[in-house]
Amino acid sequence: MPAALLVILQTALLVALAPAWNGVVGAIKARLQMRRGLPVLQRYRDLAKLAGKETVLSEDASPLARVTPYLVLGAALAVCTWTPVLTTRPGMGFAGDLVMTVALLAVMRVLLALLALEAGTTFGGMAASRHLALSALAEPALMLSVFTLAIAARSTDLSRISAAVAATPDAWISPSHLLALTAMWIVVVSETGRVPVDNPVTHLELTMIHEGLVLDVSGHHLALLEWAAAIRQMLLLTLVANLFLPWGIAVEPSPLALLVALGAWVGKLAVFAVVVAVTESVTAKMRLFRVPEFLGMAFLLALLALTSDSLLRG
Amino acid sequence: MVLAGLESALLAGSVWALVAAFLLPAIAALVPAAPAALRHAVPRALAAAACALAAVLGGVQLAGSSGALLAWWPGLPSEPFTLAADALSAPFVLLFGLVGAASFAAHAPSGTPAGAAARLALHAGFALCLLCVFLSRHALLFLFCWEGMTLLSAALVAHDLRSARGRTATYVYLALSHRGAAFVAYALVTLASHAGSFQFGALAEAFSRLEPHARESLAWCFTIGFAVKLGLVPAHVWLPLAHPEAPAPVSAMLSGVMVKAGLYGMLRFAWQMPGAPPEQWGTVLLVLGVASALTGALYAAVESDAKKLLACSTIKHAGVLALATGLAALLAANGQREIAGVALAGALYHAIGHGLAKALAFLAVGEAVHAAGTRHLESLGGIARRMPRVSFAALVSTLALCGLPPFSCFAGEWLVFQALILGFSAGAGQLRLLAPFAGAGLALAGALAVAALVKLYGIGFLGRPRTEPAAAAHDAAPRTAAAILAFAALPFAWGVGAPLLAGALAAPLAVLLPGFEAAQLSEHAGFVLVPAGLQSSRIAPAVAALMLGAFAVLARVWLRARRGGAPGLRIAPSWACGAKLDARMQYSSLGFTKPLRLIFEPVLRGERELQVLEEGSPYFARKYRYRSGLPELVEKTLLAPLVQSVLWTSEQVRRLQTGSLHLYLAYLLATVVGLLLWAR
Repeated sequence: MPAALLVILQTALLVALAPAWNGVVGAIKARLQMRRGLPVLQRYRDLAKLAGKETVLSEDASPLARVTPYLVLGAALAVCTWTPVLTTRPGMGFAGDLVMTVALLAVMRVLLALLALEAGTTFGGMAASRHLALSALAEPALMLSVFTLAIAARSTDLSRISAAVAATPDAWISPSHLLALTAMWIVVVSETGRVPVDNPVTHLELTMIHEGLVLDVSGHHLALLEWAAAIRQMLLLTLVANLFLPWGIAVEPSPLALLVALGAWVGKLAVFAVVVAVTESVTAKMRLFRVPEFLGMAFLLALLALTSDSLLRG
Repeated sequence: MVLAGLESALLAGSVWALVAAFLLPAIAALVPAAPAALRHAVPRALAAAACALAAVLGGVQLAGSSGALLAWWPGLPSEPFTLAADALSAPFVLLFGLVGAASFAAHAPSGTPAGAAARLALHAGFALCLLCVFLSRHALLFLFCWEGMTLLSAALVAHDLRSARGRTATYVYLALSHRGAAFVAYALVTLASHAGSFQFGALAEAFSRLEPHARESLAWCFTIGFAVKLGLVPAHVWLPLAHPEAPAPVSAMLSGVMVKAGLYGMLRFAWQMPGAPPEQWGTVLLVLGVASALTGALYAAVESDAKKLLACSTIKHAGVLALATGLAALLAANGQREIAGVALAGALYHAIGHGLAKALAFLAVGEAVHAAGTRHLESLGGIARRMPRVSFAALVSTLALCGLPPFSCFAGEWLVFQALILGFSAGAGQLRLLAPFAGAGLALAGALAVAALVKLYGIGFLGRPRTEPAAAAHDAAPRTAAAILAFAALPFAWGVGAPLLAGALAAPLAVLLPGFEAAQLSEHAGFVLVPAGLQSSRIAPAVAALMLGAFAVLARVWLRARRGGAPGLRIAPSWACGAKLDARMQYSSLGFTKPLRLIFEPVLRGERELQVLEEGSPYFARKYRYRSGLPELVEKTLLAPLVQSVLWTSEQVRRLQTGSLHLYLAYLLATVVGLLLWAR
């Protein structure tokens, strides 16, 4: 299969399936709590409805607010093009690597935080402030945990890292890999706004972080931002699935291998959905100022992963 | 031949035009009949043109050319004073030229005509000294310019004589800078006495011939001296005090260019001249770099003064420069020249990238705080709607200083990360231990800097104005705003064009690491940046930016197609849960980084003081006074005790001076006897 087609296919998969994952988690949670819950596809209907609606902008907002939702979605989509979903064959790998990925996720974060401050209301500032403080700890942990893999692969190219980990099936049992995986999972939980860091279904503004950022946004702008957030979550989960646990990923893009890879990827995402749903059902959200300890733990675990790598591999 | 002629013309033109710009306002002030334009407009245009010429000179030099000289006899015995650009100084001359041109173009007269003329003259003189620091090929001339640069900029820091803050800043700045200059002067004069000449060529030869012990101690002397200028911990305390006090165009040159003179000095005198940096030099710089990056970013995050925040962010970036340089030295000492080249290319690229972004930030934020009449973020807000052009420039510089693609600081930091990862895999024991901490520090500092700069733009420029003057702010004079907007294109170009432009650093890199080919940093016709020769990872900032833009447009097109027309957009007042919206309901600058202050409380150790002024009932007082502050940790734990001990010692020494003549005679006698015994 030509490289261009593979890039388009992988990007389309990430973009199209992104809203579904939240739906699946919601459905599993509802079952665990003996409720019927929303249909899995409800998220798509919400997006479609919002996309058709008028946006109300604050009269205090600067011209930046008009373009921010488009830029945020654009950044998320740009990262999608070089993320290995089904195959380790690099398509757009020349354009971006791990550092570029983290930086573009940071672009999304910065633009969202600025957008939250546009309207001059309290909740936007509160959410932006908390969001930046927490990701100030989460981002280095993310960087370090993937660095552990990058050092083994001697490259920051996502496809190469995935291929290198896939080529040594036993490597994942090493202490540095497990430590890094734990750190990465904590970061993913925090960055996607999940319990115990944040509650995605909360309706109390004072406790919101990620939802609070878009509290002043409405209509089609909100549709773009919601979709971008879902894609960002999908990206982070795919990084865990295909960098840390790249079982089943297609090294050579033959149709059969791609089908297997698709099955493996969807399967891993389903497992993640169950893990998240169970965690969210049995744990409570942390107090805000306990979260830094939680994230600090991720940072330390990642640092430990790196140093143990240097000690053990020697 | 033609190129050499062109170069001499550029060199002479830029230097003499700056001299003219320095002298013209003074001459015009003495001649009563002189037209008013001679006091400000003409010298300013001259200085801006001189800087533009210097930028071209730096560019020509980077493109590779013979190197023209400008020499004259100062009347001293021995040698002529020589000015020339060479490969190592070329990137710094280029940076100076670009920033200087923008800085002079945005230098608007303010206050009394005499004061404005004096400020412009000082600005031009400072620029002249700064340029000559990079161009000097003579030790005495170098020292003279180094001092001139410090003194003239100190005069500009002190330009507002009524401000107590300005006076303190000037004092601390001069005190620390002169400690640094003393180290540099000692080392240069010692070296000159070994060489028997003041010319840099002879100095370099003598330096590499010195015995290892003497060579290393001299190189360390230079390093200490220049580390003060670079603003590395623990000699960084002057930087957040002095840089904000100067007028904005001067702050732009201080933070954008002068700090890099410290890096230039280190590379020239501790690396190029001795042939290789001393042992452990890399380790020390790496550790100091990480400490500075973290300190700068943390204090920037908790700072509420817009210009001071930018100055703290300069410390962060100076730390990144030191980290990259130290990493390069460590790798070069281990024999990994290729990875060392990547780290050094990162350092040089970041030096210019940060210089452009920081200068733009100071120019844009300077205009905004000038219009609003305050530097305090708590009194700003709503600037973006009132000063759209300047705010756009501020936004570009904010994103660039956050280290985000596709702007100027990203490519340099990317190269440093690559060198860290590759160096970790290939490096020796020491590096394997240091690299994880360097990577962690760099990532944490980057994330903290993001919080700081989002605060600067989000609280200072967005939302609703918090005070009357901020609400009355209006855009800068068209010419100033146009100059700032035009300059905003540079950080973007420096980021997008990274693969192409990094190759242009070949000449300076080859001076420090012979055999390193910087052309290998780019492939695919300059679209893709790779760590040279290693081909392990690659990025294409231009392609990534293009994709981001294309996808954004695609989203817009998709929305239009769905609705069959432009999606509706309505402007309405902000919703405040039914209450009347007040500007004070917004998050304040202090509140915005409160979570960070709580998280880093063990490091920051803030001071709080609550005083009851008037007792009311037993439970509630009627009047309180609350004071809180964040004293600089290094200042509190290291420098304050140092100052205390010096004061205490001088107090003790004063006891010797009782004023009694007999006692003084006894001292004389004791000294003579002591000397006789010693000389026996």
